[in-house]
Amino acid sequence: MRRSTIRPRRRPESLVEIYEVFRRSGHKEPFEHCGSVTAPDARMATVMAKECFTRRGEGRHLWVIRRADIHSWSDDSLPDPAADKTYRFAHAYRDVIKKRALARSRAQADAR
Amino acid sequence: MSDILAAILIALADDELIIGHRHSEWTGFAPHMEEDVAFSSIAQDEIGHASAYYSLASTMVGQTPDQLAFGREPGEYHNAVLCERPNGDWAYTLARHWLYDNADALRLEALERSSRPELALLAAKIRREERWHSLHAELWVKRVAEGSVEGRGKLLHALAEAFAEVRGLFEPFDNEERAIAQGWLTVPSPVLGARFVETTTAALDDLGLPVEIEPGAITTELIASSSGDLIATDEESASITPAGGGLGGRYGRHSDDFKALWAAMTATYKIEPEATW
Repeated sequence: MRRSTIRPRRRPESLVEIYEVFRRSGHKEPFEHCGSVTAPDARMATVMAKECFTRRGEGRHLWVIRRADIHSWSDDSLPDPAADKTYRFAHAYRDVIKKRALARSRAQADAR
Repeated sequence: MSDILAAILIALADDELIIGHRHSEWTGFAPHMEEDVAFSSIAQDEIGHASAYYSLASTMVGQTPDQLAFGREPGEYHNAVLCERPNGDWAYTLARHWLYDNADALRLEALERSSRPELALLAAKIRREERWHSLHAELWVKRVAEGSVEGRGKLLHALAEAFAEVRGLFEPFDNEERAIAQGWLTVPSPVLGARFVETTTAALDDLGLPVEIEPGAITTELIASSSGDLIATDEESASITPAGGGLGGRYGRHSDDFKALWAAMTATYKIEPEATW
């Protein structure tokens, strides 16, 4: 049996951490996630992020955040809610003005 | 007179081009992926600075920036020998990157006050980018210096090796005293060299890296040379090693390392010098 000579390289976990990088193109734009870098500390992560993600003038403002410091939430069952929640969308109220006008005209007719 | 300034601009450009070329040799080989991109980006910045200096000089000498960058013979390049040394290991690359960018920061600070507005403006522009290079170098050096015994040992060795040739960066330019008299240059190279030694040894001290500098080796000798003594000394010692103590580069005297670099760097250009890219 041939033994593979390729072995996964051990990553010295204590040396580097993953930092998520957020970038914005201007003062009025929102920060958006653009990638991640590995670095030994936040300052080095900032330098790496600057060189990796602003090389073509994509932005002048960066945030780097240790991935371990990000609190996340997800629920894949969300698109299948237990009850009808269309009332949470604006389109559910599209006919309300028409219905209200109709109700008013009926009320006026009854009054006569 | 403008050829004096052109020669100085070309020497400045040569430093940037040659160290940029060396930095670029790490592309694909840097210690990790982010560093590969970062260091390649820094290499491109340095070559970009070279291109800007060549462009300023090109109108004065009637040659294109490409002709200046790739169309000269090895003895016509005036970069410091330190810039042409092979990368060696990452420790040497880092040590040289840190020393060079510290030196460049001092030089740019002085150039920003040049009486030639186009040079002063360019220096200010370059300096904005160099701040990031310095930070990159500083963070790396600090981390390795405070890291494992092995890394620290390698860095210390590399710093000593690179420091031994750092004087070449402060070797006076041709006709420097005339450029100073015109206000094109604001600080004589030897004075900058002395400042460099002061700030760098203080920084090394802060890092707890005991790099010993022979008493007077850089400071006094370079200060004394502001009157042109260094040039005279150099002429006398021209028959000894071409790059003794990192000197000679400003007068076109390079190491064999440069010849190999030059051959590789100019190979494509020579195939079709008139080609546009």
